[in-house]
Amino acid sequence: MVVSLLITSTNNNHSPLFDRGDFFQNMRTILFIVAISAFLFSCKKAEIENYKEWGFEKPSHFPEPHYKFENNTQTYDRFDLGRELFYDPILSLDSTISCAKCHAQTHGFADHNVNFSLGVNNTVGKRNSPALSNLAWYPNFMWDGGINHIETFSFAPITNPLEMHETMTNVVAKLNASAHYKEKFKKAYGSETVTDQKLLKALAQFMAMMISAESKYDNYVLGKTTFTSAEENGLQLFKTHCASCHTEPLTSSFGFANNGLDSDFTNDLGRGLVTQDPNDNGKFRIPSLRNVALTYPYMHDGRFFTLNQVLDHYSNGIVQSSTLATSLGTGFNFTTQEKQDLITFLNTLTDQNYLANPFLSEKKK
Amino acid sequence: MKNLFISAALVVSALSVSSCKKDDKDTTPTETTGTVELNMAHRWGMGADNFLLNMELVHPMTQDTMTFTTFKYYVSNIKFKKADGSWYVHPESYFLVDLATAGSEILSIPNVPTGEYTDMEYTMGVDSLRNVSGAQSGALAVANNMFWSWNSGYIMVKAEGTSPNSGSGSFAFHLGGFMGSNNVVTVKTVNFAGNSLTVTGGHTSEVHMTVNPAKLWHSSASLATTSSLMMPGATAKTMATDFYGGIAFDHIHE
Repeated sequence: MVVSLLITSTNNNHSPLFDRGDFFQNMRTILFIVAISAFLFSCKKAEIENYKEWGFEKPSHFPEPHYKFENNTQTYDRFDLGRELFYDPILSLDSTISCAKCHAQTHGFADHNVNFSLGVNNTVGKRNSPALSNLAWYPNFMWDGGINHIETFSFAPITNPLEMHETMTNVVAKLNASAHYKEKFKKAYGSETVTDQKLLKALAQFMAMMISAESKYDNYVLGKTTFTSAEENGLQLFKTHCASCHTEPLTSSFGFANNGLDSDFTNDLGRGLVTQDPNDNGKFRIPSLRNVALTYPYMHDGRFFTLNQVLDHYSNGIVQSSTLATSLGTGFNFTTQEKQDLITFLNTLTDQNYLANPFLSEKKK
Repeated sequence: MKNLFISAALVVSALSVSSCKKDDKDTTPTETTGTVELNMAHRWGMGADNFLLNMELVHPMTQDTMTFTTFKYYVSNIKFKKADGSWYVHPESYFLVDLATAGSEILSIPNVPTGEYTDMEYTMGVDSLRNVSGAQSGALAVANNMFWSWNSGYIMVKAEGTSPNSGSGSFAFHLGGFMGSNNVVTVKTVNFAGNSLTVTGGHTSEVHMTVNPAKLWHSSASLATTSSLMMPGATAKTMATDFYGGIAFDHIHE
């Protein structure tokens, strides 16, 4: 359409066509139009083609992913369905809460500014909505690791009374009543009958594609860029004090640790709730630090709103208890300069390409 | 053009003739497989009283008065052994018995090769692999409300109801666990002894089993002490083991 408009306007400006002087002029115009249309065409085509090439591709500096789309072969239509579901409040009881409501792309898919997210009827959650990235590498999910598979993950927020407060049966019924979704499920899974299995698998296709691997830190690891001396100094401090838990390059070992926030865990046993092992009480997921500058507030209960507060905690706020991570000791006593350098380094984990990745954003309807 | 019409008509009629033929073939009595139905008959206590939802019962050991509103459990991985020692393994063998769903107590296993079977194997609960393999369908779909959302794994037995003996007036037991010492999944075998199971082409043979829900409290405390259990652990293991132990082969109907 844009191309045809261009043709019309050039024709108005350049008639008669067969004048010799105008021939070259027109030739240039035609070439210009061809170039423009090729560009427009390639832009449009690039979206799909680039995606297909992209598909799931392990970043070269990442380890092998945990999820390999077993029994859920990747297709664009399945991903696209999962993407639409992620942004659709139809998953909640009263169609008010979507996944994206508490997982905002601009904040590394974390819920920013609130320590606990609000669910249906403004019920308050019990733990901080974590940032989402590189989910295909997680062996289990949630702050306590209670969920063992990316495909069964979404069952929890959909049915949790403090979150979407819906039943799977209801969600499936609502989707089955939607001509739009029936069409999308048919494209994705060959049959327009919506089932909870297909719903969960489609969401998993989207979630597994949330790959953050293009931060300055990544480019540094790949030798594509250099660090400033402050960033370099921060990285060395990180390697010394943090990386044994926040394992590079994913910045998490995906394990669980008590990082010295409390000594009384009756309010939330954390990992102990799942394993029923008292030695796991007070332990929570070691979170990935990717995009950490934007995923505030921090910790399982969102008690710290700034990275400065977090570093103050690790510096001299460690609370002793029987399950405390031994590596934390009595804290690291960082100097002001060290804290600054660490924060400078942590900022290199911000991945603008991820935060603005058009494939992961809400599709314009 | 006319020829094209004629040939098209010929093709259509040929297709319809061949499809007729196929139908004929289906009705010829030369089938090499039959169906086996496992019929789970629920009986309360050693007196084998009727067991139905919304029926007031008294537990023979704890003396608790109980009215069940939900009773559901998984049976899986059913296999039959022939006299020559070979096994027929039923594929995708997952059944959810739900007393609120009429007919779910009959587990239908089609396509069993004809022959004499001496033994049967079945699993109470859902094997560990399916507890860790992501979103499943059919009997194993999470929409059946038999999967823990917060601590992944199947609820393998769900018993809920009301009781004046419970402090809260109700009871809810969600038993499961597939790992380590909390694993409740139990493989059971039946030897048909002299009375082997005969599977005849195109026919249904019935294996009758008895299930006694009272066994859940065979060695567990009164509802006055524990009226709710929502996670794997030693208590779940004891209750499931007692319940599964009480499931028995009764007789064969051929």
